[in-house]
Amino acid sequence: MSDSHVNGRLLSKRMADALFEAAYLSLVTLFIAFSLIPVLVAIVLSFDARSFIGPFPPTAFSLRWYERFLADNYYQDGLVNSLIIATVATLVATVVGTLAAIALSRATFRGRALLQAALLSPLVVPNVVLGFGMLIFASRLGIIDGMTRLIMGHILITFPYVMRTTAASLVGIKASYYEAALSLGSPPWKALWQITLPLARTGIIAGAVFGFVTSFDNVGISIFLTDAFTFTLPVALLAQMRANLDLTIAALSVIFIVATVLLIVVLDRVAGLDVVVGRGVYGR
Amino acid sequence: MTALLLWPALIIVAPLLLGPLLVLGHESLKPFVGGRIGGDDAGALTLDNYAQIAAPEYARYFLDTFRISFISAGLAMVLGFPMAHFIARRAGPLMRRVLMGGLVGTLFLSIIVRVYAIAVSFGPLGPLSGFGRLFGIAPASPDGAELMVVLSLMNTTLPLVALTLVGTLQNINPRLEEAAMSLGAPRWKTFFQVTVAMSLPGILSAGIIAYAFCLSNLVVPMLVGRGFILFVSNLIYSRFSEVANFPGGAALSIVMMVVSVALFYGLLHLVRANWQEAGK
Repeated sequence: MSDSHVNGRLLSKRMADALFEAAYLSLVTLFIAFSLIPVLVAIVLSFDARSFIGPFPPTAFSLRWYERFLADNYYQDGLVNSLIIATVATLVATVVGTLAAIALSRATFRGRALLQAALLSPLVVPNVVLGFGMLIFASRLGIIDGMTRLIMGHILITFPYVMRTTAASLVGIKASYYEAALSLGSPPWKALWQITLPLARTGIIAGAVFGFVTSFDNVGISIFLTDAFTFTLPVALLAQMRANLDLTIAALSVIFIVATVLLIVVLDRVAGLDVVVGRGVYGR
Repeated sequence: MTALLLWPALIIVAPLLLGPLLVLGHESLKPFVGGRIGGDDAGALTLDNYAQIAAPEYARYFLDTFRISFISAGLAMVLGFPMAHFIARRAGPLMRRVLMGGLVGTLFLSIIVRVYAIAVSFGPLGPLSGFGRLFGIAPASPDGAELMVVLSLMNTTLPLVALTLVGTLQNINPRLEEAAMSLGAPRWKTFFQVTVAMSLPGILSAGIIAYAFCLSNLVVPMLVGRGFILFVSNLIYSRFSEVANFPGGAALSIVMMVVSVALFYGLLHLVRANWQEAGK
């Protein structure tokens, strides 16, 4: 092989590397731009002073859409309902889901995997199917109260999140810790409370946060279960958006964004963001 | 002890899951009488509601749902993998924290807010309205509606895909990539023949999750499909809200559930059967 041939190959390899690097970085940039720009546009529009949705960017700014939102009971009723439903559903799901995850992590009976899959299945069965089914189920049981129906539906969809993340965090905990407590004379409930639960804490917290967010944002189930007096915030938003593409929604979006950022900061402080995907086997 | 801990789930969650599915099955077999809410309790059970779904005009809605979800999930994978790779391999501690916070934040941000943001950005008056025209798509056309549905589904699926793939990539030894490059492999070859090839099971699992997520979406077609694009979810909802045909909606629900669950577990099983370490 001549020198020039080797040089030529090296040069084409460098060019291919540079091209690849450019394509790689553009995809990463595109990802960030595509996730960020629409949100920024919505933020800017929420301060638009015009009374209609005009061309971007706005010509003048004001807080009119925020004032309008604050004057609107419709959204506030939805917000209160959403908070009540998400809180109750998450509390129930966290207790029940954590216990089930611990039980399944130790169980040895046949059909354990099947039971686990069945309990996680609300993640796979489409929300609309669960919502429609829950509506008919509740009406056959004679439950026509919107709040009760909504809480029933939301327990069902928050539960798998808690169970899944708790189960994942239990994998790393050695059963011998719990057994050691038992052999030292601790009653099982005490060993569970003082050994297993604290060790699984981050998983339980992360599951509860995910469950709460899922419940709070849910439309697929809620849209079937609301009644004329009890509706959730997303359902109210959806109805408003279908009726008119008003900028009150942009103002509300900004409030959502601020709340989300706060939630992320809290989650990062309490459990650490890595709880979502872990550090991996080769974690740095 | 184990059984004791399991009872709350069996008492509270099992009825909430099985009850609705059983009554859906029962409802789907009742004859539908126009003008009343819910099926006719007095009538004999029938398979008519399923026969109606088998009609060719329904195939279109199923095909649209599958096709558009496939495109959206596929595009989300194309954008999501490099991002996940960047976080897992290149980002320093601070960058990693910011990007992870951004991803979890987008995941947590209400889907309605995100679809709204896409609608005002890519809509006729939005700053990005020129994007569709790049591909010769007019905003007011059915293709324009489809583009908006695809963009919205992509936007909502992206953080899910990227986070799942960060998990996958973290479990692949980075030394393998370094080895390939130190032996003279170009970056692109290392990327595709080592990194992508090793994470294929994870990529497929993430793709299946993203696909399932898109398939069952109700909000996106409702808000930006403008009647041109309807998913099966939207059909079920209109059977409930507009025509009060509960038996028809129940039959559609059962079909959709069977298809979704079969597709999800079927594809996942295929992946796991071919690659042992998949889906972990």
